[in-house]
Amino acid sequence: MFDYHALLPEFILGATLLVVLGVDLLVAPRRRWLAGAAGIVGLLAAGVPLLTLAGVGGTREMFAGSYVVDDFALVVKGLFLVAGAIVLLASMSYLRGDRYYEGEYYFLILASIAGAVVMASARDLITMFIGLELVSAPAFLLAGWRKGDLRSNEASLKFFLIGVLSSAVLLFGMSLVYGTTGESTFTRIAGATAAVSGESAFVLGVLFTLVGFGFKIAAVPFHFWAPDTYQGAPLPVAAYLSVGSKGAGVVGLLTICYSAFAGARDVWGPALWVLAALTMTVGNLTALRQSNVVRLLGYSSVAHAGFILVPFAMAAAFEGPALEEAFFGSLTYLLVYAFMNLGAFAAVIAIAERTGSREIDDWAGLARYSPTLATLLGVFFFSLAGIPPLAGWFAKFVMFKAVLGDPGNAWGVSLAVIAAVNAVIALFFYARVLKAAFMDPAPESLPEGAPLSRPLAAALVITLAVTLAAGFYPQLLAFFGEAARGLALP
Amino acid sequence: MAEYFQDYITVAVFAGFGALLVAAAVGVGWLLRPSRPSAAKATAYECGIDPVGGGWSQTHIRYYIFALLFLIFDVEAAFIFPWAVRLEQLGLFALVEMVIFIVILLAGLVYAIRKGVLKWES
Repeated sequence: MFDYHALLPEFILGATLLVVLGVDLLVAPRRRWLAGAAGIVGLLAAGVPLLTLAGVGGTREMFAGSYVVDDFALVVKGLFLVAGAIVLLASMSYLRGDRYYEGEYYFLILASIAGAVVMASARDLITMFIGLELVSAPAFLLAGWRKGDLRSNEASLKFFLIGVLSSAVLLFGMSLVYGTTGESTFTRIAGATAAVSGESAFVLGVLFTLVGFGFKIAAVPFHFWAPDTYQGAPLPVAAYLSVGSKGAGVVGLLTICYSAFAGARDVWGPALWVLAALTMTVGNLTALRQSNVVRLLGYSSVAHAGFILVPFAMAAAFEGPALEEAFFGSLTYLLVYAFMNLGAFAAVIAIAERTGSREIDDWAGLARYSPTLATLLGVFFFSLAGIPPLAGWFAKFVMFKAVLGDPGNAWGVSLAVIAAVNAVIALFFYARVLKAAFMDPAPESLPEGAPLSRPLAAALVITLAVTLAAGFYPQLLAFFGEAARGLALP
Repeated sequence: MAEYFQDYITVAVFAGFGALLVAAAVGVGWLLRPSRPSAAKATAYECGIDPVGGGWSQTHIRYYIFALLFLIFDVEAAFIFPWAVRLEQLGLFALVEMVIFIVILLAGLVYAIRKGVLKWES
């Protein structure tokens, strides 16, 4: 009746959630970090069946095709599990400092990751929506974790209101798609598209669905909540939002566009062209003016959403291998972005603990008194900017390669030019932070900071290793993108 | 598809007629009634008795938590009914599934008790 092997990662995550709650109840408050440790063990344990499933191979369909475990799902689930473990590592010392609600925090992060894992397999409008809500709902609470802090309240409220609005828009779009095609499973929607492709209600449904996901991945003009939320939320939560929550949105967009709306590429292709160009440009230009590092990273993650959207934009013009290349480009960008952005946030958490400030000006001369942290910051920021030989260059490379799949296409070339200009702008604001850290004189009295905690150091080491390794040896991450590209051709 | 959008004309007519009806009822009343305001008439109407306290009274958060816990088991009951009707056909598998479901909900109740949210003393 069930394919227990295929569902094992979800079952393990569910059991982990209960264990984390139990640990939170049973241990003394100063040992609550055990709940986080249990969470990390659970995430890694959930990764084991992914490996065995990959070893067996093949596509497993359940529930009449609405839940599918294929190579794409395995790769994306693996990404979310690893990203979740890194976020938990980066959270531990931060929560110790805040001293409240540790167990509940781990529980909610794990619940959100479970939602992302469900989304990776969802091939049905309703399953996808439930997965997306499971990703978002705990994140609303997490954004307001520091409930005594007004900024955190603002972050949570804005995120909640926008999140609910975007869910409503998404659901409305899905209802129009269901109403016109009469199907809710992606493959059957794709089959029924030809009969309704010109109808305004169907086109409207596709566009509303894009807008709904646009909010989730913080694409311009649906991005305005993101910087405020990142700034007010606890730093590890901001890291999770910029990778886990945004990644879930990208994964939803990838599956729904390339499989359900495969016949409506002439609708979502041009729409995402505009969205990609706007998102890159506005994100990068606004990031230029930020004085707070977290807001800067917020706008930088908006801009990266634009880069991820770039290969989508040309789908209407592409067929066959070029279309596959576009899918591969977006997915590989997401894989690389996840690690380097988590690394950047981990470095910012460490430096904020060391200097006691998140303002760029207060980080002046960081390299003099904390060269290791400054170097780490440099590696991750240069990787985000796309400087070889760090992982970011490879992400940009596949993105450009995908959008230029047809060199004669003026739309593709013009979008590539916009992306190239934006990559240069991005380098400027990343370099500005590094200039403060490396070239500006250190203050007279050095800030008294706590030493780097071990879990945070572990998170930094993991992300650094992946960022360096994937830059020198791109096949490391490209292999996973390559394995998952089959979804593009139904 | 044109028919699909034409259905919204019904909605528009309905909304317009509803707005008109309210406007007419209030407007005619406004035209006909005499106007003699007094302090007693301006007080809040509370089922005919004299109002006590302000309009912005606070309700204790524990009512909310009790309502939430009630809701969880309310939904559980809604799931159990169809399950119970079909249990003989579904067999052992469904029984195990439901036991797991209820155990998860009970874990939530145990959690709530251990966290002390069911204590009613102030």
